[in-house]
Amino acid sequence: MRFVAEACRLVSGARVFDEHTGAFEVNHPFDTAFVSAFMEIFNNVALHAYRGAGSGDIELVASVSPTALTVELRDAGVAFNIDAIPVPELDALPEGGMGIHIARTMLDEMKYLPGPPNLWRLTKRLTVATTPEVSQSA
Amino acid sequence: MSASFDVQTQHGQPTLLIRGSLDINSAPSLAERIDQLLATKPPRVVVDLSALDLIDSSGVAALVKLYKGIRAQGGQLEMKGTRDQPLAIFKLLRMDKVFGIV
Repeated sequence: MRFVAEACRLVSGARVFDEHTGAFEVNHPFDTAFVSAFMEIFNNVALHAYRGAGSGDIELVASVSPTALTVELRDAGVAFNIDAIPVPELDALPEGGMGIHIARTMLDEMKYLPGPPNLWRLTKRLTVATTPEVSQSA
Repeated sequence: MSASFDVQTQHGQPTLLIRGSLDINSAPSLAERIDQLLATKPPRVVVDLSALDLIDSSGVAALVKLYKGIRAQGGQLEMKGTRDQPLAIFKLLRMDKVFGIV
C-alpha cells in the first residue's frame, strides 16, 4: 500500500501515508479512487488467483506522469474470465462480489489480460473531476 | 495496516468504534465482534467511523452483515463520522442512504 500511496502522491501532490503514525490520509479524490481500486484488485489476486496456493508473488510496476498513474500487477495464479463477473445488485445489499465493481468504477481504465502471467493494468487520470477544489464547489 | 474495534455501552446502548483500516485482514475479526454484539440483541447500535481511514469491500460486507443482523432482530443501526475514502465507497455502493449517512 505504501508503494501505491507514494505513486498517488507523485500525481495528486497530497500526502497519502504518514510515516510517523502509519496512518493513511486518503482524502484527495484522485487518491481515494486509486487506493480503493488497488486494494480490491490486490485482494482479488491474493484471494482468487492464488487460492489454495499458500503464497505467491505479485509484481508491481507504476508509471507516473504529471496527470496520470498506471499500476500494473502481474501474478502467476489462476486466470479467470472477467467478462463473466456480474455487476452486483446494489439494492440487494450484497455481502460480496463488489470488488471488481469498485475498481472498475473508480478508475478511468482497467484491463485484465489472462496469463500466465495474469496482468492487471489500472489507470487513473488527474482531471478536473478529481481535483478537490472543483469537487468541493460542485 | 490494521484496525481496532471497541464496543462502548452507555445507558444500555452499544457504540462500536472502528479505527484504522477495515480490510480483508481485519474484517474477519470485526465479523466475530459483530456476532458477539448481535447475540445481545441490542435494540439500537451506533457505529462510529470517525477514526476509520480505509475500507475495502470485505469491510463493507462486514458492516452490511451488522446492518442486516440488527434489522432482522427489529433493531436500528446508526452510522456516524464517516469521512474521506470510506464515505466515497459507501456512496459508490449507494449504501450511504441505506446506512443513513448524510
